[in-house]
Amino acid sequence: MALLEVNDLKTYFRTDDGIVKAVDGVSFSVEKGKTLGIVGESGCGKSVTCLTMMGLNNRRNTITSGQALFKGEDLITMKPSKLRDIRGNDIAMIFQDPMTSLNPVHKIGRQLTEAIQLHRDVTKKQARARMVELLKAVGIPRAERRADDYPHQFSGGMRQRVMIAMALINDPDLLIADEPTTALDVTTQAQILELMNRLQREFGSAIILVTHDLGVVAETADDVVVMYAARVVERAPVESLFNRPHMPYTWGLLGSLPRLDADTERLTQIPGQPPSLLNPPRGCRFHPRCPYVMNVCKETEPELRPISNDPAHLQACHLDEQTKDREAAKLLSGTLAEAS
Amino acid sequence: MATDGAMASGDELLVVEDLKKHFPVTRGIVFQKEVASIKAVDGVSFTVKSGETLGVVGESGCGKSTMARCIMRLLDPTGGKVVFEGRDITRLSRSEMRPIRRELMMIFQDPYASLNARKRVGFIIAEALEVHKMGTAAEIKRRVQELLEVVGLNPEHYNRFPHEFSGGQRQRIGVARALAVNPKLIVCDEPVSALDVSVQAQILNLLKDLQDQFGLTYIFIAHDLNVVRHISDRVLVMYLGKVAETASRDLLYSEPKHPYTGALLSAVPIPNPALGRARKPIVLQGDVPSPLNPPAACNFHPRCPRFQEGHCDVEHPPLYKFDGGQIAACHYPLEGWPLTEEEMRRPSAKAQSTPAEPTPTT
Repeated sequence: MALLEVNDLKTYFRTDDGIVKAVDGVSFSVEKGKTLGIVGESGCGKSVTCLTMMGLNNRRNTITSGQALFKGEDLITMKPSKLRDIRGNDIAMIFQDPMTSLNPVHKIGRQLTEAIQLHRDVTKKQARARMVELLKAVGIPRAERRADDYPHQFSGGMRQRVMIAMALINDPDLLIADEPTTALDVTTQAQILELMNRLQREFGSAIILVTHDLGVVAETADDVVVMYAARVVERAPVESLFNRPHMPYTWGLLGSLPRLDADTERLTQIPGQPPSLLNPPRGCRFHPRCPYVMNVCKETEPELRPISNDPAHLQACHLDEQTKDREAAKLLSGTLAEAS
Repeated sequence: MATDGAMASGDELLVVEDLKKHFPVTRGIVFQKEVASIKAVDGVSFTVKSGETLGVVGESGCGKSTMARCIMRLLDPTGGKVVFEGRDITRLSRSEMRPIRRELMMIFQDPYASLNARKRVGFIIAEALEVHKMGTAAEIKRRVQELLEVVGLNPEHYNRFPHEFSGGQRQRIGVARALAVNPKLIVCDEPVSALDVSVQAQILNLLKDLQDQFGLTYIFIAHDLNVVRHISDRVLVMYLGKVAETASRDLLYSEPKHPYTGALLSAVPIPNPALGRARKPIVLQGDVPSPLNPPAACNFHPRCPRFQEGHCDVEHPPLYKFDGGQIAACHYPLEGWPLTEEEMRRPSAKAQSTPAEPTPTT
C-alpha cells in the first residue's frame, strides 16, 4: 500500500465572484522513501492540493471532497484534533518563502523546540539537544549559538535550512515541500536539494516536491505529476515523462525552457494565459492554447489513461499516439542529440 | 577594454570603466560619522557594443542591480566612469542628463510594483513621450496604441488599469514603456524572474524580436543562467561587486575559467533525468560574504574549491586574458570543462603557474 493515496481530491473556494474550482479531481500516490514532483504554472492548484491534505485551508469558504489516505486513514474527513497530531509529526511541510514562514519575534531555537514539545513527551533539555542535532544535520555552523538568534540574523538559504530542520525534527514519514528553492540562488538551491536528498536517504522519508522548475524535478523526483488548470494532465515516472512526454502542455513546458544542454534560437511559447478557474473552458481545459486542437477536444474532457506500452505513464489527451510519439521525438531531438 | 580603443572603433555604445558605488554606513544621530562602507560595486569595467546583448549573472547581493542603477544614473557612482556614445555621463547634471535619458531605458523585475496602480496603461506608456515632448496629444495616443500592438497587447486596452492585466501582460506594458522613446540601450533588470516558464518564454521571444526589429542593445541582468545563455551574446559574471569573468556566451558556457563560473554552471538543474543525475554538481559551501567586510585579496577565496593558502588570500588576482578570449580574475583558472570535484579541488601544475603568458588587463 502506498504511503499516501490521493483519490479524486476536489477543493472549491466560495468567493464573491462564484465558486473557484482550485483543485478539481486530482489523484496520485506516493510510495515510502520516494519523491513525487508536482509541476505546473502558478495558479494551477499545486499548492492548494498540499494545503488541502494538511487541512490548512480556511474552513469558512472551502468545500472539500475526495480522499487523501495517509497510511490508510483519510486526512480529509479526519477530526481536527487527530489531524493536529499527524501534522508536524508524521507529515511535515516546508513552505516557499523562508522570509515569511518563520516567526520574526521568536528565536530560532524556540520555534524548533516547540515542534518537538507539541508531539513528544520530552524535557526541555532533551528537546534542545534534538534541536541542535537537527540544526547541525542541515549544515548550520555553530548550531548551539545560532539557535539563540532571530530569523532576521539568518540569510535566505540559512532560513530555508531552518525550515527543513523544523520539518524533519519529528522524523516525518512524509515531507511536503512547496517550492522550497524558488526564492533562492542556484548555488543555494544546489545546497538545499543536496541536503534534502541526503536527509531522504538517512531518514527514509517520502517527499512531495511542488515546483515549477522542470530542471529540479528531473534531478530529484521519482515520479512526476503535471497539473494544468486544477487537473492532472500527465502522470509518469520521471524518465518516461522527460523522454516520452505525451501531452501537448508538457511539450509546451519543456519547449519554453531555455536550457544549458541544448541550443534553441527561439523558445516554443504556449500562447495565451492559463484559464480562469471560475469558469474553466469546456472539454479539454488546455484546448484554447493547444496547437493540436481537434473538434473532440472542445466537447469532451479527456480521461487520464495509460499509454499503450507503459501502464505507469498516464496522460489526458485525445490526440492519437503516433502523432504524439512523432511530435515528442521532434521536440526532444535537439536535446537528445547533445546528450548522446 | 580601455576607452581610447572604444573611441577608435566607434562601435562601443557603452563603456563602463572601474565603476564603483560605495554606500556609507554611519553612526551617530546629529554628528553622523562614516564608520564603514558597503562596497556594492567595486571596480567593474566592461563595454557593450551596439546591437548586442550583454548578460550579467551573479547571486543576489552581488551588485548587479546597483550597477544597473549607476549606469542609468539613478544612483550616483562613487568612482569610475560611464561613457555612453563617447560622452562621459557620470557627472552630468539633471538637466544635461535629460536628453540622454531618452536613449537609456530600463525594464524592471517586478511587473506588479513597477507600474503605477492608479494610472491608466495609456498614461504610463505615454508619460516618457510627454516629458520629452515627442509629438502632439493625438500623435502620442497613436504611438501608444502602436506600441501596445508591437508588444502583443490589444491597442483597445489603452484605457485599462494595470490590475486588469496578468503578470506577463504587465511585463509587456513595461517593455512598451521602455520602447516608447526609441531608446538605444535598454537595461533589463531581472525582467523574467517573477514569471512562469511559459510566460517567461513569451517575454524572452518578444525581447529578441524587438532587438531584431529595432536594433536595440540590451544589458540583461538575471540570476538564471539558462535565461542568460539564451538571450546574450556576451556574459559578465559578477561576484561581490567585482567582475569574476567575462566571455562570449559560447565560451563562457563551454570553457569557463573562473571556479565561480564553474560552480554556478554545475549548480543549474538540467531538465533531462539521465544527464542531470549523471553529473555531480560542485556545491559551494556557505553564503555570499557580506560586502561590508569582504574577504581579503580574491573575494571568492573562502568558498573556492581551489583555494590555495598564502596566495589567493594574499594577492589580489588581476583580470587575466585567455587564448579563447575569456577574461577571468583567478590565479588558478580551470583547465577544462567539465571537471570532476577532485580535479576542481586540485589545480594542476599547469594552472598553478597561472595561464601561459598571462596578459593582465586594466
